Amino acid sequence: MDILVIHLFNALLYASVLFLIAGGLSLIYGVMRIVNLAHGTLYAFGAYVTAWVVGQWLAGAHPIFLYLLLPSGALAAALLGAILEPTLLRPFYRRAEEYQLLVTFGLLMILEDVMRFLWGPYPLSASALFEMMGSLAIGGSVYPRYNLLVVAIGGLAALFLWMFVYKTRFGVVLRATSQDMRRASAMGVNVNRVYVQAFTIGCFMAGLGGAIVVPGQSAVLGMGVDALVLAFVVVVIGGLGSLEGALFGALIVGVVREIGVSVFPEVELAVLYLIAVIVLLVRPAGLFGRTA
Amino acid sequence: MPVTRRDLLAQLGVTAAATLGASAAGIGVAGIARAQEKPKGTIPDKPFRIGHMTFFTGPGAVLGEPMYKGNLLAAEEINAQGGLLGKRKIEVLKADEAAGTDANVKEMRRLKLSEKIDMFMGITSSGNTPALGPAAEELKLLTIFVDGCTDFLFDKAVPNPRYVFRITNIQSADGSTCALAVAMTWPDVKKVAHIHPDYAYGRNCYDHFSIVSKKLMPKAQNVSEAWPKLFSTDFTPHITKTLAAKPDLLCTSVWGGDYISFYKQALQHGLFSKMRVATTLALGTAPQAIGKDHPEGVLAGVHANYHFSYPPGNRWPLNKSFVEKYHAKFNEYPNFQAEGAYTATHVLKTAVEKANKLAGGWPDDDAIISQIEGMMLAGPGGYVYIRPDNHQGYKDAITGFSKNVPEYPFPILDPDRIITIPIRNITAPPGWPKGEPTSTYTWIDQTWPTVKQA
Repeated sequence: MDILVIHLFNALLYASVLFLIAGGLSLIYGVMRIVNLAHGTLYAFGAYVTAWVVGQWLAGAHPIFLYLLLPSGALAAALLGAILEPTLLRPFYRRAEEYQLLVTFGLLMILEDVMRFLWGPYPLSASALFEMMGSLAIGGSVYPRYNLLVVAIGGLAALFLWMFVYKTRFGVVLRATSQDMRRASAMGVNVNRVYVQAFTIGCFMAGLGGAIVVPGQSAVLGMGVDALVLAFVVVVIGGLGSLEGALFGALIVGVVREIGVSVFPEVELAVLYLIAVIVLLVRPAGLFGRTA
Repeated sequence: MPVTRRDLLAQLGVTAAATLGASAAGIGVAGIARAQEKPKGTIPDKPFRIGHMTFFTGPGAVLGEPMYKGNLLAAEEINAQGGLLGKRKIEVLKADEAAGTDANVKEMRRLKLSEKIDMFMGITSSGNTPALGPAAEELKLLTIFVDGCTDFLFDKAVPNPRYVFRITNIQSADGSTCALAVAMTWPDVKKVAHIHPDYAYGRNCYDHFSIVSKKLMPKAQNVSEAWPKLFSTDFTPHITKTLAAKPDLLCTSVWGGDYISFYKQALQHGLFSKMRVATTLALGTAPQAIGKDHPEGVLAGVHANYHFSYPPGNRWPLNKSFVEKYHAKFNEYPNFQAEGAYTATHVLKTAVEKANKLAGGWPDDDAIISQIEGMMLAGPGGYVYIRPDNHQGYKDAITGFSKNVPEYPFPILDPDRIITIPIRNITAPPGWPKGEPTSTYTWIDQTWPTVKQA
């Protein structure tokens, strides 16, 4: 029984992080119609920044203060996004999609190298945050409390994002731009500003994903590409451009992976892609996708 | 007459405590610290170019960087004496192995044809040596692979090598060494769980651990298997699965950044207090990257190959000086890749000098190859013997138990409980037919007795 509860927590843990990454990817696509291949790398950037910042302040700092440093990676990724969108992406909106793919792929490789240049080839960890919270006894087993914090942050992020998009004035503008950019522009919406804001929020979410993951895992080169691929699986299942889709896609992937590891260890990864394939065959636009 | 485990372990020469391993009495051992003699004949002063390909980007860089640094350190030492034969300075050209196997083969060709390299060195991934080995043979390019340790290279891909050598690391030795150390230390193990990265190395470790444990611990059973993706950092579901199976022992070949994430998560799940843990590469990848929070007494593998803390102190002066020089230059401790590349460069130097002594002038590749074949060289990690038939370097296997000591801010191998195994006892010998999945596997399966277990 306790093992079952732990399996459930594991699935939620995985889903929370995946939602943050895939949600950001989907939001950016929904508003700007850009498939940002560097999105996973921004997740990695968030992880590296948090690990580095926490490492800088680790000695002698109050534990609460260290936990307050956790979002630094998210803020850094958001800042990076706010710089990248107007300078690098904006000139390419009028060009064919291939250019955007090439630019964001180039950005992926540049950022990977920048991270290696800044932080070296060895893993960077902020495990103090993970360890300080200790473990919770569940029946005869123990479970890291930090993981539950990650689940809580993932859930809160989903809630805030939903309120933001559906309950605020900015959300209305965002959705209007997403539905018809030209008409929104004609109604007086500053599309450029909406774009940079949407991109920044998307990057913030990816960075937050990295920031909350890094204490329990560690920042390693290549983590961004892995995250990107998984985020694509999520958005393929849920539907590109849909936040609800990202949430459900992440939950499905989280649960399926947990079952896969236990029951089909030999084909752990293949199971995820298999689901994506089935969804593509049955509902090409994803479970929550809008058909064009 | 049934063999007991103790008999078989004794036959295999598995030794605990701090010993020096197999003796090399009677063999002319070359040392890397020899003073240079005056070379015979005229030597050109054209630089000797080594193309060094390893991972400089991506997660593999954690192994690639130290490899390159080991090559660089040796080259600097040699250049400080004027270069090879006192004349030819070594130039090291970098190439990134992360480009992918096909691109790596093209790059090797380009290095040979356009950059006119004299020698190729490096390679980390077992996925790349089987493609680059045949390419090097075709290009007639003198090559010493440092790693890319798959048995497949000399079992199948290049069964009769001429230009290709590999200095160290035989993959099958990892799983075998781990299983022998378990049989020696925890012979009562009955239920074994496995967590291995899902690629060639993990599969190979699993196979060889299993075949050796079948021989020495016939009553041990597999109760759980998990195959996480290589370079993943989330092991939560794999740990949960392992805990649910309630094994006595976990065998894992997870390494590098993956291992760091693994042990930190396993700690918070209380895994280490519920079972013994045996690893093949825990302390091998980057010694300084493991924290003092790592539990002590874990069987902490080092690729069955090298850990800078052994042989300790000045017991093996070549190790002491290597570690000191490496640390002074790079401010970190060398891993097995650094030691391998450093030794490989000295294998080249020694072969060139020996060939020059015989014929004078700058030796051609054939002369250098003839001197590398059958060479026995003392490197930082011990003696390396380059077998002439398959061009593989053989060095005694080592493993041990993690321990925190005041001298280092990270765990090292417990100096009082080092386990060494003569490599000849755990690898297929010359003349043994090629087998599936590896020659060593079939050799163990067919020639080792199964012990009688109470």
